[in-house]
Amino acid sequence: MTTTLDPTAPPLLRAADLHLHFGGLAALWGVSFDIYPGEILALIGPNGAGKTSALNCLNGFYRPQRGHIYFAKRDLTRLPTHQIPHLGIARTFQNIALYTGMTTLDNLMAARHIHMKQSMLTSALYFGPAHREEIAHRRVVEEIIDFLEMEHIRKVTVGALPYGLRKRVELGRALALEPKLLLLDEPMAGMNVEEKEDMARFILDIHERRGMTILLVEHDMGLVMDIAHRIMVMDFGVKIAEGTPDEIKNDPKVIQAYLGQESR
Amino acid sequence: MDTLDTIPKWLQHTAQRYGTKHIAMRKKHLGIWRSFTWAESFQRVKHLALGLMSLGLERGDKVCIIGDNDPEYFWAQLAIQAAGGVAVGIFTDSAPNEIQYIVHHSDSVMVFAKDQEQCDKLLQIRSQIPAVRGVIYWEEKGLWNYQDPWLSSFAEVVALGRDLDQGEPTRFDQRLAQGRADDLAIFCYTSGTTGLPKGAMISHQNLINGTLLYNEVDRRRDTDEYLSFLPPAWITENVLGLSVHIINGMIVNFPEEPETVQENLREIAPCALLFSSRLWESLVSMVQARIADTSWLNRLLYRLFMPVGYRVADLRFGQGRVPLWWRFLYWLGDLAIFAPLRDKLGLIRVQSAYSAGAALSPDVVRFFRAIGVNIKNLFGSTEAIIHTLHVGSDIKFETVGVPPPGMQIRIAEDGEILVKGPTVFQGYYKNPEATAKALEDGWFHTGDAGYLREDGHLIYLDRVKDLLELATGDKFSPQYIEGRLKFSPYVKDAMAIGGHERAYVTAIINIDFANVGHWAEKQRLAYTTFVDLSQRPEVYDLIRQDVQQVNQTLPPPARVRRFVLLHKEFDPDEGDLTRTRKLRRGVLEERYRALVEAMYNGQSEVCVSAPVKYRDGRTGTIETAVRVCSLEE
Repeated sequence: MTTTLDPTAPPLLRAADLHLHFGGLAALWGVSFDIYPGEILALIGPNGAGKTSALNCLNGFYRPQRGHIYFAKRDLTRLPTHQIPHLGIARTFQNIALYTGMTTLDNLMAARHIHMKQSMLTSALYFGPAHREEIAHRRVVEEIIDFLEMEHIRKVTVGALPYGLRKRVELGRALALEPKLLLLDEPMAGMNVEEKEDMARFILDIHERRGMTILLVEHDMGLVMDIAHRIMVMDFGVKIAEGTPDEIKNDPKVIQAYLGQESR
Repeated sequence: MDTLDTIPKWLQHTAQRYGTKHIAMRKKHLGIWRSFTWAESFQRVKHLALGLMSLGLERGDKVCIIGDNDPEYFWAQLAIQAAGGVAVGIFTDSAPNEIQYIVHHSDSVMVFAKDQEQCDKLLQIRSQIPAVRGVIYWEEKGLWNYQDPWLSSFAEVVALGRDLDQGEPTRFDQRLAQGRADDLAIFCYTSGTTGLPKGAMISHQNLINGTLLYNEVDRRRDTDEYLSFLPPAWITENVLGLSVHIINGMIVNFPEEPETVQENLREIAPCALLFSSRLWESLVSMVQARIADTSWLNRLLYRLFMPVGYRVADLRFGQGRVPLWWRFLYWLGDLAIFAPLRDKLGLIRVQSAYSAGAALSPDVVRFFRAIGVNIKNLFGSTEAIIHTLHVGSDIKFETVGVPPPGMQIRIAEDGEILVKGPTVFQGYYKNPEATAKALEDGWFHTGDAGYLREDGHLIYLDRVKDLLELATGDKFSPQYIEGRLKFSPYVKDAMAIGGHERAYVTAIINIDFANVGHWAEKQRLAYTTFVDLSQRPEVYDLIRQDVQQVNQTLPPPARVRRFVLLHKEFDPDEGDLTRTRKLRRGVLEERYRALVEAMYNGQSEVCVSAPVKYRDGRTGTIETAVRVCSLEE
């Protein structure tokens, strides 16, 4: 696999000392990590380890009580959620969040609104520049449909699609934002082997062709080991290990977190 | 310009005629139908052919193509032929070992493979196909990081050809002019149900003659639209699609993806198409299921006007005259239901809707006639392209039509259909034994059984090897009789019986309890159980009409002379049928031996006691008298 990874480059995103509490429960406890441009970083850990909480902090869903998040040198810790995509961070959700009454095409077009410059009025009149803008965005969306092989469901309402395809539509919508950093929350959860392989191929293609930096939360260890450049392991709100797939495979702390205390 | 005796020469001719003024092809890409003029299409073929020549392709070389219906597939095939080569189509779902067999057996020196999936298969078998110098792909997706020099892209080969064209501008025309009518154009590997696939060699003359024959009976014009969705490795797409496109200038559209064919059909609304009979049948069930889900208004209109459609279709095909009042009602029905339905199915512009494969049931034929689509049968083979088809309005759904002018049909002693004509193939590649068996004095032995009726129509029965012989030496097809009997709504299952020691054909018939019961209620006929209903004389009369109708389509020795209505249904739980409802002939003949014997020794009634196994596991016996019904000669 070719990677555009450059170890000397400054990180694209830096999370420093994140603390997140829900009442007395610590979801994140001093978590720090860097994401480098062009890498696929996987975030793994047992249930309740704080993986999704970390992701939610990155795109402003949760606000950490302590710590900072810098994206392309900008502090986004206190930014409102809806501004995050404008900076170039897009995500998918563990429990798919799409407009189920709309078609695949419309879901993807809706994601393009952050790139649209025309006012609501001119767009409604659909004349001149607004017309041209719509065509340009449609092209971007059609390229994503082609890329993710969704031609046959272009005009199907999302509510009528099977689970595996909805996941794909959600990935397509995140791509339609043309982000610099793509956050994927368990993109392969609940899929069969074939669907998982398709999704893994799409993730690799996205990384390869679109040069996107990807943070991936995933349970399937085999797939993570195959596609991630680096892996970060969490347990009980704390980062317990970080490294290449080979390093992680042999890390005693990781083995313990996944398999429990070794009996002596 | 010398004679138009090869497909690429025809291409050059047609491209010169239409130039940039006419659209040759369209392909849906990124949601938009993009068109290619004849000049563009020809230019692509020319450069690709020159590219292949600069890669060392010689006249007579074989090149495999494995891919979906795309302009690139057609261009690749035409370019191979323009360079004097033979195109060998491979079905896209072939496994690597099947691909290996065909590539190796055909002695191919290059392979066109559509995408990553096909390239991966070829890379996997690379060491077993050493003669292949390179693989050319046309969809780059996923192949961006393959650095193997064995693989090259379509664009790279076209660029090679463009360079060669600049250096030697006459090279293409020279190679094109070397083409001869009896040069081989394509190999079609037949999906051998027994043994290894055989490569049928089809010459340019075969393809051109096939198209000209088809033109005689059903000419496509240069304004006609066509959607290419049949597998391009199949002979049918090569003639009805590619050759008609090249010779008549018919516009060919390519679906966006194999999954979008149904949607693209509606957008293009082709003038001619061919579906397998199974696909026609599934379309009817699809319409019925969708109607059940639609708005109350649509359901109402459907219920209101479908009987009108059926009535008018029956009148039109019965007497040929439809009273004015019914024509008016049909016009209303067309506005309300029939035209929208045809539009949804992509059949709004269809002039020639063909069906190939197994016989269509009359219900399906009537349904489509009711909504204004007249399905014609087409019977052909890889080896002889077209045998027979329905021509014009001479459509009889029980036949496979008449041979087009120039084709001859003969029935051999053993009932086999033999075909002779200008489309009969050149033999199987590297297989003289199979060729000698299949070709005798220009007659192609189809392996299919059938007979010619007095009106010139051919009836297709079955594969010759599935026929049974009677004591008289006559042959008959049990499956044909059973299939036709089952077309009746009152017959659920049937088994036709014959054999060396028996003089005539008999049948055991299962009534369809629901439909016959419904009919009995309408006739105010009282009955208690299945056993009772099945032995009613009125029911025997009802079924006798169906049997007589089937008999009329059969030659006298093969007609059903006696039948019984079984007192119970064939049941997979008792081993009568397999789980997929196929007859277990041996088991059935043994179990109902008394009935079978009664039909041959002239008894009029048999007392039977049959063991029954209930679904809860209990067993019991029923006793009843079963009547034997004889039919007059």
